Amino acid sequence: MYKLHYAPDNASLVIRLVLDGAGIPYQTHLVDRAKRQQDSPAYRALNPTGLIPTLETPQGPISETGAILLWLSDMHQLGPAAQTAERGLFLRWLFFLSNSAHADLRQIFYPHQYCPADAHPGHRVILTARMRDHFSLLNTATRELPSLFAAGRPLGAYAVTLTRWSALYPPNAPRWFDLAEYPALFVLAEAQEARVETPVIARAEGLGPHPFTRPEHPNPPEGSVL
Amino acid sequence: MTLTLWHIPDWGSSIIRLALEEQGQPYQLHMMDWDAGDFDAPAFRAVNPLGLIPALETPDGPMFETAAILLWLNARHGGLAPAPTDPARAAFLSWLMFTSNTVHTTVLALIHPDQLAGPDAADEVARLAVERLTEQAAHLETLLNTQTPPWLTPTQPALGHYLGILLRWAAYLPEDPALRFSLDPFPALHAMLSAHEATPAARRVAKADSLGPHPYTAPEIPE
Repeated sequence: MYKLHYAPDNASLVIRLVLDGAGIPYQTHLVDRAKRQQDSPAYRALNPTGLIPTLETPQGPISETGAILLWLSDMHQLGPAAQTAERGLFLRWLFFLSNSAHADLRQIFYPHQYCPADAHPGHRVILTARMRDHFSLLNTATRELPSLFAAGRPLGAYAVTLTRWSALYPPNAPRWFDLAEYPALFVLAEAQEARVETPVIARAEGLGPHPFTRPEHPNPPEGSVL
Repeated sequence: MTLTLWHIPDWGSSIIRLALEEQGQPYQLHMMDWDAGDFDAPAFRAVNPLGLIPALETPDGPMFETAAILLWLNARHGGLAPAPTDPARAAFLSWLMFTSNTVHTTVLALIHPDQLAGPDAADEVARLAVERLTEQAAHLETLLNTQTPPWLTPTQPALGHYLGILLRWAAYLPEDPALRFSLDPFPALHAMLSAHEATPAARRVAKADSLGPHPYTAPEIPE
């Protein structure tokens, strides 16, 4: 059985939504960030970068959200097969979510890793503008390719989780993101919340009753978000 | 079937050209000129509305995103990376994604440091970027020393060439020598890239795109 190394409201949430969305059995294993377990030798042996999630599989550990989604897609037919015409679109948007949207959002969460403190306000202006552009593209793609961006599936679960984080993090910064500006993504958020597995996952990670349409700061029963 | 690559030598499209040459796939080049405004030309925007390269026209429609194109080419024609049924696929995908969302984005920050926080912060943005890149290279060095993965050898060359071009840019494009990435602390990474730049396909691309005799391990400014 797969083992998902997770922390509440971390990128492991995307994998959880997809695994439960497809009814694929797995165990969870908490990475307690309050104790910096992501830096422990045991975790670093699974994932040298120390990032969450890692999925242990019969083929060994996989790290990187997008890599796990692609591997699961091919193992469990959760996306277009390799020889289909839609495969190119699927890959293109998966990498866009990972290397453009998720990577730029990470810069907004952790600006000190990217620029000096006196430049943080300017950095934030540039990166939030880039994120708005990314969400506009994702909104159009979600509208035009609804089966690729379905709730509970790799691209849909990834996109909707990025909207949640954009509304919440970093915790003490001014808000810049409003899901209502992206109608197709709002519909996707409603569809994700309507799925039976979503409230179960939301309870397990303390995400509140409307984790995507009305995100609240989490109150997880175990573990730490940061 | 015709593949058309929209191309500028030593841009991201060189990574795709290397993959096509390794596969021995026939392809056409559509050469582009940044200064001539080709990125805004209707003919190109019709292929990629975002106006970015690499863009590869295929029988299934246009493809974008470097790593997505590499996976697509591997699935269609093989020879670049582990196949979907290969047990090595799990580790390969992890490091391909890491290269795409971490190494590639870090190198872009290093070579375009004014784009993250404005011109005043550019030097410090570049300094932080080369620090991060050095940490990332250390992860790759450890990987090469502990696992010798076949998908970082010339028998499965997609990721090696992708890393080679990225680290080439990081080594020669920063104007300030203090901000240039160096392979010196990373002998296993150096050896891996040295093997990749020596393949017949890499030599053909290096000649055609004017990348010099050692494009990854001793990059020179192209003529």
